[in-house]
Amino acid sequence: MVEFLNIFIGGLILGGIYALIAVGLSLQYGVARVLNISHGEFIMVGAFLTWAMYTFWGLNPLASLAIVGPAIFVVGFVLHRTLFTRLRTSSASPAAYEGGSLIATFGLMFIIQNLAIITWGTDIEAYSFLNTGVSIFGARFAANRLTMLLFAAGICVVFYLFLARTRLGKAIRAAAQDPETAGMMGVNIKRVLALCFGLGALMAGLAGSLLSMCYPIRTTMGLEYTIIAIIVVVLGGMGSIVGSFIGGLILGMVGSIVLYIDPSLSLVAYYFIFILLLLVRPTGILGK
Amino acid sequence: MRRKLLILMVSCTMVLALAAPLFAAGCDEAEPEKEVIVFGAARPLTGPFAVYEEMAFGPIYKMWVDEVNARGGLYIEEYGKRLPIELKIYDDGSDMGTMTSMLERLILEDEVDFILPPASTAFLFAAAPIANKHGYILMGAEGGGTTLTPLLPSLPYYFGVLNYSDHYQMPVLADILSDAGIETAAIMYLEDLHGVEYSGVAGIELTNAGIDIVMTKSVPLGVMDVSSIINQAKTLGAEAFLSFCYPDENFLAIGTAIALDYNPDVFLTGPGANFAFFAGVFGPAAEGIMGYGAWNTKSSAASEDFYEKFIALYDPGLLDWWGHNLYYAGLQFFEQAIEEAGTLDQAVIREVMATSTFDTILGPTWFDMTADGEGGGLLAEECYTGQVGQWQNGVFEVVDPGANRTAPPVIPKPAWPAEE
Repeated sequence: MVEFLNIFIGGLILGGIYALIAVGLSLQYGVARVLNISHGEFIMVGAFLTWAMYTFWGLNPLASLAIVGPAIFVVGFVLHRTLFTRLRTSSASPAAYEGGSLIATFGLMFIIQNLAIITWGTDIEAYSFLNTGVSIFGARFAANRLTMLLFAAGICVVFYLFLARTRLGKAIRAAAQDPETAGMMGVNIKRVLALCFGLGALMAGLAGSLLSMCYPIRTTMGLEYTIIAIIVVVLGGMGSIVGSFIGGLILGMVGSIVLYIDPSLSLVAYYFIFILLLLVRPTGILGK
Repeated sequence: MRRKLLILMVSCTMVLALAAPLFAAGCDEAEPEKEVIVFGAARPLTGPFAVYEEMAFGPIYKMWVDEVNARGGLYIEEYGKRLPIELKIYDDGSDMGTMTSMLERLILEDEVDFILPPASTAFLFAAAPIANKHGYILMGAEGGGTTLTPLLPSLPYYFGVLNYSDHYQMPVLADILSDAGIETAAIMYLEDLHGVEYSGVAGIELTNAGIDIVMTKSVPLGVMDVSSIINQAKTLGAEAFLSFCYPDENFLAIGTAIALDYNPDVFLTGPGANFAFFAGVFGPAAEGIMGYGAWNTKSSAASEDFYEKFIALYDPGLLDWWGHNLYYAGLQFFEQAIEEAGTLDQAVIREVMATSTFDTILGPTWFDMTADGEGGGLLAEECYTGQVGQWQNGVFEVVDPGANRTAPPVIPKPAWPAEE
């Protein structure tokens, strides 16, 4: 029982954070059509802002979510309204825009990373927050990891409800299906696409904040998380937000099982699942 | 027409007659006198290895160059004067391919006088054959490895300074654990050359010292959960937990051990624990944690002077209690060898380096050369200030048995502090 709980809850913890990272990227690609290679850099910035506020001001990392999220949202929103809107309107076709925006996000990755290096340096940072053991039916977990799971799951649920139940959520879903038609139906496409990019950045920032509670952080850590996010998004189906959530949970659960059996095989297992899914269902779990 | 042709011929002859002495003078002129000595390097100014440039060899070579230039430069007898050092540093972007092409460019196109090493073991050993091919001395810095030691006889221009697993960290660790009566150890190691080497050498050395290795588990780079490993080590009751990973994984292992309340008698991580910022990150939880190394201000008066010079220039949090004194001593040795040779001829300097002992902050310093003096060299065992360190009251104490020891090891380590 204890071993089962170790694996199951461990899988949920990993899966929750994978899902949160991937849902943001999925939103940016699925609706805003920007395959954001700099996604991990927003995670890094979120992590460092939380670390800085905790270390220098003593601000509770969970409270910092309320500052980090909106701040990164604004950056993402403005970036889309300026850089990506300009790219979109000047591109000859949607395909040209996707290619152009991909290159632009590469540039963005280098710019954000180097600004972070100038600001925070290159060494590893970490802090101790809720790093105590919590026993669940005899299985012990770090309280900060359980907190990370609760918040990641909560953010994903709130976001899903926002998409499913609100008028703006409906506009986003409409823009994801067909931006032209949605525009003709009165949806302000420019604003909705910028909103999606901003929300994707916000989720990355929140993920970074939560990650900083449990893991050491570096200004060069972004790309590792971008790769995880891309794997999960492809696994879930390109552009499917629910698919990314499910993909994240599956990858986390598999990771936890393999970590228990033989930690050295965890990366192998991820790529095995990835290849298997591409062979059996190339469009991903919920891809069309 | 003939008149015009004649005028033209006479004019041309006059121009040539006037220009010839100038041209001849140009040919006879000696090479412009040498004004500076250029040291070139491909270093990770950006990318994931940028931390090496910021915290490892980076601050040390800059400090050394400034000091040498403050003295007027290196005295080269061949030129009869001191020549200041000029640095030519390219950014390799933490990419090995870029590093090797930059290094070749420095040697072949820029024709720098000397090179400084790139960062990390793998990069260092990719650079060594290039330096060797062109007859450039490569004084190593951040890197070294057991598997690579057999290559040394074919790399006569390579001089390694950093200590590593069987050179001589793990044998010393085995002595420390054995002296403290440790009977069981659990090993977590990273799946790369570093982790495989350390776990392999530790397995042999600890077993020879009568210590039972009850668990050996590998983890991939960037592993996000080591709970199962910590839980297993705890269940098996391993008295020593040895994490042969990089800082990311080592920090995760410490955090997880604290959360899961696994407090073995010995907790060693490396690299990571050797950096000054480690104590800042973990606070009281750093107490008793061991790491590779080691040196501190008590090692010698020269070490204390070096420390004072360093913190006058840089943030003390950038100090590395494993490699900084070795990198600096390597450069001091290099500097004296160049001046002793009295020339910039690398072959001559290499011979001086292979056969001489110079005073550095380590005291008398020399290299043990391979292939009867014809191969590359490694810093001699006697020159090191320590192989294993332990955080005690905020100081990274050298806990090796013998003369290098600055404090006896605290075994068992203190309990993890309670969460505030």
